[in-house]
Parts: sequence; structure tokens; C-alpha cells
Amino acid sequence: MTIESVLHLLGLIVVATPAVLLTALGLPFLMGIQLSETVQARLTKACVATGLLAAVAILGLMLLTGSRDVPIELGNWVSIEHDHEHFHFHLKFVFDRLSVPFVILSFVLCGTVGAFATVYLHREKGFGRFFLLYALFLLGMVVSSLAGTIETLFFGWELVGLSSALLVAYFHERPGPVRNGHRVWTTYRVADAAFLIAALTLHHLTGAGDFSGLMGSGAWPDGVAAIGSWQALAVGSLLLLAAAGKSGMVPFSGWLPRAMEGPTPSSAVFYGALSIHLGTYLLLRVSPLLDVSLPLRLAVIALGLVSAIFGTLASRVQSDVKNALAFASLAQVGIITIEIGLGLRYIALIHMIGHACLRTLQLLRAPSVLRDHQMLEDAVGQHLTGDEVNPPQPATNFQLWLYRLALQRGNLDAFLDDWIVYPFVKTFQLFDSLERRWTDLLSGGASRESDMLSPYSDTLEDMS
Amino acid sequence: MPTLESGDETSAERDQNSVHSQLRHMVEHAAHFLPAQGPIEVFVHHNTLHAFEKQEFHAAVQAGYARYRAEPYLSEQEFRRLYDVGRITDQDLEFAILDDLGEKRNDEINGLGTRAEIRFAMLRHAIQVGPDAELRWIVAETDALERFRNKTTQINRTRIISAAQKLLQGADCQENSIVDLSSLLTKLSANSTKWTDTERESFSLHLLWRVCLDGIGSFSGKKPNTTSFVRPRDLLLHATGEDIDRDVHDVLIRFCAAYVDQGYSDWILPNREQGFYESFLALYSVQVRGTDRWLRQLPAELKTLIDNNVTAEASIDNSLRELGIPSLQREEFITQSLLALGGWAGMIWQLESGVDWVVHSIAKGSLLGMLAVQLILEKCAVRNLGEQVFGNGSSINSILDSARQRIAEPKPLTIERRAFLLFQVAQMLGWTPLELLQLTETEWAELSDEVEGFSAMHRRRVFHEAYERQYRLAALDAFAEYSTRLRQADSTSDPQRPSFQIVTCIDDREESFRRHLEEVEPNCETFGAAGFFATAIYYRGAADGFYKPLCPGVMIPDHYVQEDVGYTFEGVHRERAELRRRLGLASRAFHTRSRTFLGGMITGIVGSLATAPLVARVLFPHLTARIRRRFGSLLQPPLATKLQLERYEKDPGPDNGHVGYSTDEMADVVLRLLQDMGLTKTEDFSRLFVVCGHGSSSLNNPHESAYCCGACAGKRGGPNARAFAQMANDWRVRAKVSALGIVIPDDTMFVGAYHNTCDDSVVFYDLDRLPASHREDFEAARESIEEARRRNAHERCRRFDSAPLSISPRDALRHVEARAQDISQARPEYNHATNALCLVGRRAWSRGLFLDRRAFLTSYDPSQDDDEHSILQRILAAAIPVCAGINLEYYFSCVDYTAYGSGSKLPHNIVSLLGVMEGTSSDLRTGLYQQMVEIHEPLRITFLIESTPSAMLAVMEHNTSIDQLVRGAWVHLAVIDPSTSQIEVFNGDGFHPYETSSTKLPQVDSSLECYQGSREHLPFFSIRDAKGAQ
Repeated sequence: MTIESVLHLLGLIVVATPAVLLTALGLPFLMGIQLSETVQARLTKACVATGLLAAVAILGLMLLTGSRDVPIELGNWVSIEHDHEHFHFHLKFVFDRLSVPFVILSFVLCGTVGAFATVYLHREKGFGRFFLLYALFLLGMVVSSLAGTIETLFFGWELVGLSSALLVAYFHERPGPVRNGHRVWTTYRVADAAFLIAALTLHHLTGAGDFSGLMGSGAWPDGVAAIGSWQALAVGSLLLLAAAGKSGMVPFSGWLPRAMEGPTPSSAVFYGALSIHLGTYLLLRVSPLLDVSLPLRLAVIALGLVSAIFGTLASRVQSDVKNALAFASLAQVGIITIEIGLGLRYIALIHMIGHACLRTLQLLRAPSVLRDHQMLEDAVGQHLTGDEVNPPQPATNFQLWLYRLALQRGNLDAFLDDWIVYPFVKTFQLFDSLERRWTDLLSGGASRESDMLSPYSDTLEDMS
Repeated sequence: MPTLESGDETSAERDQNSVHSQLRHMVEHAAHFLPAQGPIEVFVHHNTLHAFEKQEFHAAVQAGYARYRAEPYLSEQEFRRLYDVGRITDQDLEFAILDDLGEKRNDEINGLGTRAEIRFAMLRHAIQVGPDAELRWIVAETDALERFRNKTTQINRTRIISAAQKLLQGADCQENSIVDLSSLLTKLSANSTKWTDTERESFSLHLLWRVCLDGIGSFSGKKPNTTSFVRPRDLLLHATGEDIDRDVHDVLIRFCAAYVDQGYSDWILPNREQGFYESFLALYSVQVRGTDRWLRQLPAELKTLIDNNVTAEASIDNSLRELGIPSLQREEFITQSLLALGGWAGMIWQLESGVDWVVHSIAKGSLLGMLAVQLILEKCAVRNLGEQVFGNGSSINSILDSARQRIAEPKPLTIERRAFLLFQVAQMLGWTPLELLQLTETEWAELSDEVEGFSAMHRRRVFHEAYERQYRLAALDAFAEYSTRLRQADSTSDPQRPSFQIVTCIDDREESFRRHLEEVEPNCETFGAAGFFATAIYYRGAADGFYKPLCPGVMIPDHYVQEDVGYTFEGVHRERAELRRRLGLASRAFHTRSRTFLGGMITGIVGSLATAPLVARVLFPHLTARIRRRFGSLLQPPLATKLQLERYEKDPGPDNGHVGYSTDEMADVVLRLLQDMGLTKTEDFSRLFVVCGHGSSSLNNPHESAYCCGACAGKRGGPNARAFAQMANDWRVRAKVSALGIVIPDDTMFVGAYHNTCDDSVVFYDLDRLPASHREDFEAARESIEEARRRNAHERCRRFDSAPLSISPRDALRHVEARAQDISQARPEYNHATNALCLVGRRAWSRGLFLDRRAFLTSYDPSQDDDEHSILQRILAAAIPVCAGINLEYYFSCVDYTAYGSGSKLPHNIVSLLGVMEGTSSDLRTGLYQQMVEIHEPLRITFLIESTPSAMLAVMEHNTSIDQLVRGAWVHLAVIDPSTSQIEVFNGDGFHPYETSSTKLPQVDSSLECYQGSREHLPFFSIRDAKGAQ
């Protein structure tokens, strides 16, 4: 067996394990079979451990042989041949210096969080649902980190988005989480739209979605973009928009605190650690584009800077643990983006991995802050805060303004509402009223019964 | 005329003042309905419906339903499940119905049956009454009109079918039938003689349904009362489906959290010291570009309030006017408004009115300010909604008017609903169409009222009584039977001196510990006393920064006790304290900086190192805990410490010399506890007396305090036990105690101990001071305790799904230890769940009974009490309110964990270092969470007291809070006389003798035999006395 075939096999295992897990957890669900908690936990453990070992083995082999780029082709899954236009859905995975560390990170964090959730969600009604979404997420993470073509990346990216939104709405018996899940989902759609357009543009420019076509032949991070500066700017800005949506950067930061509605383990892995870095990962993946377009590079740095400053500010005024950590994560994601913009790719990668691990630990230990606080005060022997330590001070108008801005989270949600949601809704309401006019005219009277229904008309049980 | 003018002014001012003071009163009054839970750091169990405690229990839970929309009892569905599995029996139901009906039980209803029969049928069989849509669906889509209900008896089926047949034949002869049969017959094949059984069944049921429908339609029932909405928010919600609270709360929650923050956020809310209203005005009057649409007018509005110096009261008054709240509804409106964000409002009220020990205090009048702000925001939200929906955002009045017009009066299916109810009952009781057709209009009305009158709420109430009765009777029977057996078996063997004695807290979790200890060492004696052991102190450990109270929440301690390291280790201690301080500051810096820009960059880059603790703590909790302990011991104070217990100065205080007790005070403490336990005779003392406090430790658990000792203000009670032992060992104290009447033998030594109820560890204090003469006694006792805690852990494990039932005692101990060390564990232990009993009296008559960790055990010896029952008084003054508080908090959190409890633990998020929210923007959640109460049986606690009815009545007369709880039926009360096994039960007006109904009390050899292989609630067992077997 040659090294190539071993690598190929291992690579297949890495990609296949999450898919197997998803099938193993999902199929019984579909068939109405209830797997016990132990079985689900064991399946998860086995699949994650196998995937992790295979990924580590690949890393080892790559270090040994010095190969820096191992592609795994799974052929064209969709192929449309036409005289002038053609499209291939080309499934291809790449193991290189960027994707291998990231996929190992995904396995380690997902594995840890999976073990945590097994105990944490014990006896919970939604145990099976959680682990199904978890498997979906893992698959999405692995596929998008290893993706070798933009379509594959998009595929994984969508899985991550879907599972994230559903996990935010995990407690679907309360209206809050469902609304927030919905908001997360719609924000992701905006990012996805940008991504999709970028993918199409790429196809037009290079004739294929393959990253190697875009980045030239060199392995990451030494690739050289094969397209011109203006084209790079166009594709790059769209991808930047997509990354901003996925990573909750300005102006899409509003969904970050909302995403903390789910159970603690999911917030930890999804928003603190992995999902939030997916945007920056995308930027890293297409970083050769930055080399050919200075405006794009400046835009990346500017976006990172604004997000970092905003995240820091917002994090300082939050009074609850999860919000504070969410915005703190945002600040770091901003900094990582700056690093990417500056071309410090390895540092950005290390930063990303370090930050993900740290944040996961902090989020999982979030319920301990009260006790930690007490222990710290005991150790220091005095109150760390309080009316005596921080005597009241008059606030200047600027301080008030800054505090207010931070407390209102920069009004980013209001900004999106005003500039995207509101025009959108208005447009469709206009169409709706036009349509109603037509139907009323045609039916010669009020044409919609649903207008007559008032909400909440039904009474529930008699309880007198 | 200037005089008149100024007179006018003052009267207007006076009016205004009176309105304002009225408003303040209303807010204060409304505040009583808010949750009374303080900062989560000190979790004190209390009756969730404390505000309604003056009412009787059933009235109160229903008032609670009206006020909080919180379930009063378990759901009918759940009760029915319990009925199906046999937890509630027919007999229990029958008794509960008869008890409920009293005199009216035998009233005949139109010759169709007695009232009790009808109610019994309605309880035994599920009755479907859902929303109108569901009713429609049932009638149209299910076979409700085709097939008899499953549980209809064969006799009733035949009766109804044959009556229907008879009616059909009769109708053939005479055309003027009351029911329109022809339309019915067209549905089925015309020739009725050829019908199959199913067709006959279907015909009969259709007929029955029509008869019921016609009958109910024949009289005009009560008009359904139209709902009126006190809060404009409710009106708008019903009219438009939009909830303005969502927007309002979003802003308000964020601001509340910042306002009460105890130091989590890095920036302190500007102007917070000036009050809620004032700081809100200052902050939100600043113009910030791009605020949410609905808040755009707010800064201008607040500016005018500031410029005109409008107070919070005046602002509330204005808002009430603007929102069009009639003056009669003001109080109700204020109450409902505050309850809309009850958790936060409650916390603000607690901080401004009761809790004074937080580091960031808040100004008086904050709750008033919060209401003012809430109403201002509500006005903005109403205007915004009006703009969106009605295109009219100017006047709130006109918006509300449009909403009122839009709201469609629901046309409920009253007749169908009532008819369907009767239709179901008719099948159960075999009422035939023929019989029903005989009824006149008034009789129909009577029948319908009868059935309707037994509403869902009422049914659940009866179910609940039956549910409680089952357990209560089993308990009383067990005690009556057991004490009879004890008396009969009493072979007056010569009293042996006990090998050792131990006193634990009265906590229900110590019941099994004591039981196992008695099984392991039949020659030991156990006692129960409130876990602060009469030692109410402020305590500061060697590694603690501050004094913290260790005594029941209602007490304020006078004395301070401090832990010191001895002279030898002082240097080491100082070094370590300094090291701890540095590490503390460093780790604080790390954690807060990790959220900042530059700090976060550095911590982020080195963050990969966090993988190690992350993976280790989640995957290998036990190992990690061991390593942490190993390294932690280098940081902790030296092992040998002592308590600074004796005071040299006159007045107690926290400073040097003022710390501690005088010997006279110590003597009082010792005397009091010994009297409480009834341990006053010299010959009763053993050589070794262990005083065992308790607490609980778990990781990642904001509610940790709720698991600790309730008698120590939600903290760990070890220091109290240690202090008591040290006092009782002091020969000067003993001399004073003996002068007061209790002579402690010279060879009795006291040892303090601490039992961790989560990992079942027991540690002992000050063993170095134990004389060599007692070494052997101690080793023997320690061995017994070791074995007992292993067995205790084993018994606890049966309740944990993740521990296999076949687990060995050694593994069980490891299992519970792992629970305490696991950061992912949502149920470190089950705390007080399943509690249902409280025994007060000598251990003799309950020793050897298996109580399944469900009973609080308080020691008390009536034979040593005086004629005023002063010992009983002081024991019960603590025991009844405390145990009832725990029991009722569990009750309410269990019957409705979303409204009364704090929901699921999984999304909990610590906020302001004061409490938890669900997710990142919810009300502050109070009460117990779902995972804590999942195995609980919501039963009111039963007190069984070794005393006489007259003594109990005297105690009740003296103590109004006990009287209120007992007479209001918040708790059940019974007294027992073990010498005759006579039990008397209090039932509202007085004590009545209890007649034992069964003498079934299975006897087994050990506790293990009682619980092995079961995860369910268990019946009572008597355990054979190993001492007798010896």
C-alpha cells in the first residue's frame, strides 16, 4: 500500500465518520425508533474518536513525508454539459496546512462538547434531537474545513448554518428561542446569498469552483491568485460579506447574543468556538485573493478593526456571562480578521485555534462564575468591586453616550431592521396589497377569509 | 385674591401628594406578590406562595393560578396516569370525593344517580374538554360518535343500545318524536332491522349525542363572561397578535441587569447610585443615532421629564392617565405590570427592602422607578404598534380604541361543549336516551350544572387529596403498626451504654445516613437537631475573606467565630495566603482581560493551552479533581487549624478579642442543644459524641447554596458542629452546664464532623485534641461511619439513572464522588426531592423504619419538657416553618416548574452575579429548576409529633405562623403517643383519633432489601433489629 492510498483512505475516514454518525442517529429517528441515550452517546464517541485519530494520522503522515497538499477527489456529483455553459458539482477535499489543524480542532472541540452534553442533557426530552443536530453540525464543520471547491465549502457551510439555527431554537416551547433562531437563520441567508453569488462569479471567472483554479497551484498559504485585481475585489467583497454574516461581524453582530439561547454546550461549541470562526476560516482559505487586491485587504482590515472595537465595547457592559463571552469572542474574531488582512496567516490560524479552545472552556464553565468570583475575593481577601471599591463618579456626556451605545449593542439590529428588513417587508406588503386588490376585484368582495380571524380567539381548558 | 389662589395651589398639591403616596402604597402592595428570592448566593427555601399564606391552601393555589397563571396541582393527565399505575386507588378517590362533598354526597340528581356517583365516574374516566377547535375535531374526525368510549362497561353499552332501539321502534309508530330521527337514519342504511352491531352502536351514540345537544339547547345557559384586559399589552396582544412586552422587556431586562449588577460587568452603570428612574432618564435621554424605531421619541420625552423635574410617582401617574387606566383598576394594573417581569422586579424589591449585604446596594424607591420606566417604555411601544398596525401613532387612547374594535368577540361553542361533557358522562353511567328525554328544561339545567360544576380545577383538587391521602395513610399506618410491634417486642433488656452517639441535621438526606449507621452499629444512638446546633455565628475560615452568617435565615447572629492557624504554621499560612492572593489577582486579570482587545489577543494566542484543562475536566473529572486537590493542598491553609472561640472582651464583634463566646454563653448553647435532643441524664451519654454538620459541593452549579444546609443560611454547617464540640469539651463550660442541671460525664468526648451530602464524604475536626483514651472509641465509630456512608451512597444511587442498579457500594461511592466533581453534571444530587414527612420525637419509635429518605427527623423528648412545652415550642418554631418552606417550594416548583420554578437548568445563564436567566434575555428565574424536582412527589408535608393534642394546640396558639400553616392546611399535622400507638390527626377544627386501616408492614433484614433493584418511590418497611439478633 502506498502512502498515497493510505492518505486517501484516512482522508475518506475523516470525511465519512461524521456522515456515518449522522446516518446512524438520523435514520432510526426517521423510522420512529428511539435510540437510548447510551447508544447515541457511544455512537457519537466512536465516530468522533475515529475521525480524530484519522485526522491526526494524516497530520503525522504529512509531517513525515513532507507533503503539504493532499487532495481527495470524489468526482463530479452533478455534471451539466452544454455548448457554452456547463456546471460541475465537484466534490473534492483538500488536506493542507490550513485544513488539517482546523479539522483536528473541530473534532477535539466537538468531541469534548459531545462528552459534556451526554451528561448535561441526560434525561432531557430533546436529547436525540440535540445529538442529531450535533452530528449535522460536525459533518458541516468537517466538510467546510476540508472543502477543496467552493461548492463543497458551501455545502458544509449550509449544514453548519442549518444546525446552528435549529440549535438556537432548541427550546422550542418558548417563543424567545424560536424567534432568535429565526433571526439567526435569516441573517445566515444574507451571508449565504453573498456566498452563492461569489461562487457563481468564481465559476464565471475561472470556469470551475476549484480553489486550486482560483489560487493557482501552490499549497496554502503560498498560492497565488490566478485572477485579476478587480475580479479579486469583486469575489473577495462578496466572500467578505459572507464571512461577516457567518462570524457575526459588524453589522451582523446582532445574532450573536441571540444565539446564546440554546443549551450551554451548543452555545459553547457553535458560537464561542467553531461556527463563529468559520467566516475567518473562509477568509484564510481565499487569502491569496487579498494579495492581489489592496482595496480588498483594506476592507478586511477595516471590518476586523470595527468588529474588534465594537466587540470589546459591548462586552464591557454586559452583566451576564454568556453575552459578555459572545461579544468577547467577536472582539477576537475581529482581531483575527485584522491579522488575515495584514497577511499574518499562521498567526491568525494559531490565534483562531487558541481562542476557540479558551472560549469553549470559558463557556462550559460559565455557571461557575459566581463561585469563581467568591473564591477570588476570598483569595484576595477583599471585595473586588462594590460601592466602596468603586465609589460613584459623575459621568460625562461622552461616557453616557458610549455606555448607551454599548448597552444597545451599537444599534446594529435596528440598523439591519431599518435598511434591510423594513424595505424588504414593505416591498412585499406592497405586492400583497396589489394582489389583494386583484383578488377582491375578481371575487367581487372581500376575498380573504384569514383577514377575519383574530389571533388567540380560542379559549383553553375550563379552569374555574 | 392671592390668598384663595395659594389655597387652591396647596390643595392641588395635597391631592397630588395623596395620589403619589397612594401609588407608592400600591407598588409596595404589589411587591408582595413578587418572588421573594434574594441573591442566589444565599438560597433560602421558602413557601413560593408566601403572599397567599393567610388563605387556606386550596384557595391559595387557585388564587395563585389567577395571579400567576401557574398550575395549582399536577395536571389531570398526570393524575390519571398515577391512577392507572395504581398510585391513586379507587378507594382514595372515593374518600376524597366524600370528604369534599360532606353532607351533599347523597343528593340524587334527577334520578340518574347521586352526586358522589357522578363525580366518581368523572374522575375515573378521562374527560375530553379541550379548546373549541379540538372539540370540533373530536366530533368531526374521531369515532367519538361511532364507538363507545373504551372504558364503558358492557352493561351500560347494552342499556344504551337497547334504549335506543326501543326509541326507534316507538318512533316508527308515532311520527311526532322529539328528536329528528329521520335525518339520523339517512346516515345509516334505512332498514334498521338489518343493522349490524356496529351500526346499532353508532346509531345509539348519535342519538345520545343529539339528545344531549337538544337538552342543553333547551335552556339558556349562563352567558360566557367577556374578558376585559387590564393591561393595554394584553388587549393589543389579543387584537393584533403582537406582544409589546417583547420590545419593552428587551430594554428593561438589559437595564435592570446593569442596574443591580454586583460586579460582573467591567463598566458600572453611570448614575446608578441615584436610583433606577434617575439613571435611566440620564442614560436614555442621550441622543444616539440609529436607535430602534420604537425608541426614537424616547430621548425627547425623557428630556422633558428631566427639564420639568418630574418625579417617578408623577411619571407613573401621567402614564396611567395616558394609558387610560381607570382609577379603580390602578392597583391591579400595577400588580400585573410588575409581575410581567416579576423576577427582576422581585430582585429589585429584595435589594431595596431586605437584603443589605450585597456589595452594590441600590437606592430606595427603585421598584417605583422601575415601574415608571416600564410604563414610559410601554407607551412608546403602544404608539409604535399603533403606527404599524392602525397607521395611527399619536394618541394611545385612539390606538386602544381601534384595538378594542378589532378584537373579535369569540363565539365559544358553549352548548356543544356542555353537551359533549354530558355525552361522555352518560356513557360512563349508562344514562339512556330514553331517560334523558324525560328531563324537563330545569332538570336539564340542573344536570348540566351538576356536571359542569365539577370543573377541571375541582377534579384536580380531589385527585390531589386522594393522591396525598394514599401516602399519608400509609405513613400513619406504618407508625401505628410499628410502635405496637415495638411495644410487644419490648424485652426489658438491661440498658447498655451506647458505643457512640451522633447528632446530624434534621435534613431528610440524613435520614438514610442515620438509618445505615444504626444498621451498621446497632449499639449507637443518633439524634436530629437543626444543623446549626444552637450555634448561630458569623464565621470566617482561615482562607476566607469575610465573615458569613451560619445560622437560619431568620436569625441575626451576635457572635463571630474565626478559624486560625496555629503558631507553628503561621509563617506557612502567611506565605500561602500571599500566594493565593497573587494567583487570585492573576487569574482575575486573565479572565477579565480575556474579554478585552489586547488582553484577549494574548490570551487567545496562548489559549490552546486551555485545551488541556478543558478536555481533562470533561473527560476525566475524577482524575482532574485528584490532581487539583494535590496542587490545591499547596495553596490551602495548613491542615492544623483551630477555632478562635473564646472571647476576652465584653462585647462580641468581628475584631480581635471580640471574636467568640464567653463561657456563660457557651454553656447556654450546650445546654440548649442537649435539652432539645432530650439528652439530659448523665447515664445516657456515651463515651464519644459526634456532632455532624452537613453541606454539599458541586461544580458549575449556580444553585449550589440550595443544596447546602438550610439551617446555616445555605452554607456548609461544619464550623457550627466543630464549634459546638469544642464548647462542649471545655471543662469550664461543663461545670456551668452541670450547675444548670445536666452533668456530662467526664469520659464523654465531643467530636465535630462534616458530612458532604453530595459526595457522601465525612471529615472530622480537631482529632488532635482527642485524648488517647478515646482513640479506640473513635476508630470504631469512624469505621461504622465509613461503612454507613458507603451504604448511603449506594441507596442514593438507585435514584440516578446513570448509575446501574447492580452497582456495588464501593462503586456507588465513586459514582457520587464523580457527580460532585463533574462540570457537566446537572444533578449533583437530588437534594430534598421526595420529602413528605417530618417526625418530631424520640428516635426509639422510628428507629428501624425504612423511610426512603423522605422524612425530616427531629429529636425531642416530651417526658423532659416542662408544662409550658417550652422545648417543643422552640423546636417547632424552627422546624415547622423551615420544613414547610422546603416542602412547599418543592411542591410549587414541581407542579409548575416554568411559572413557579426556574425552568430547565440547561439554558441557565448567570446574570449580575445575583441570579439566573434562561438564555440571554429573560426574566430572572426564581425557584427550583426542573432537573432538581423531576423525581419529587408534590405532597404537602405531614408532621408527626410525639406529643398530645392539647400541647400542640397550645403551641399553635402561641405561634401564629405555625397556626396559620396548620389551620390553612398548608401542612398536615398529627400527634402520636408511642406508648399506646394512638395517633390523632388535625383536620381543621381539632384533633381526631386516627383509625389504623391496615397492618401491613413488611419486615426485612436490611435497608438494602427494601430498595434493591428499584428506582421508584418505596413503601414503608420495618427492618429487623440487629441488636436483638445478637
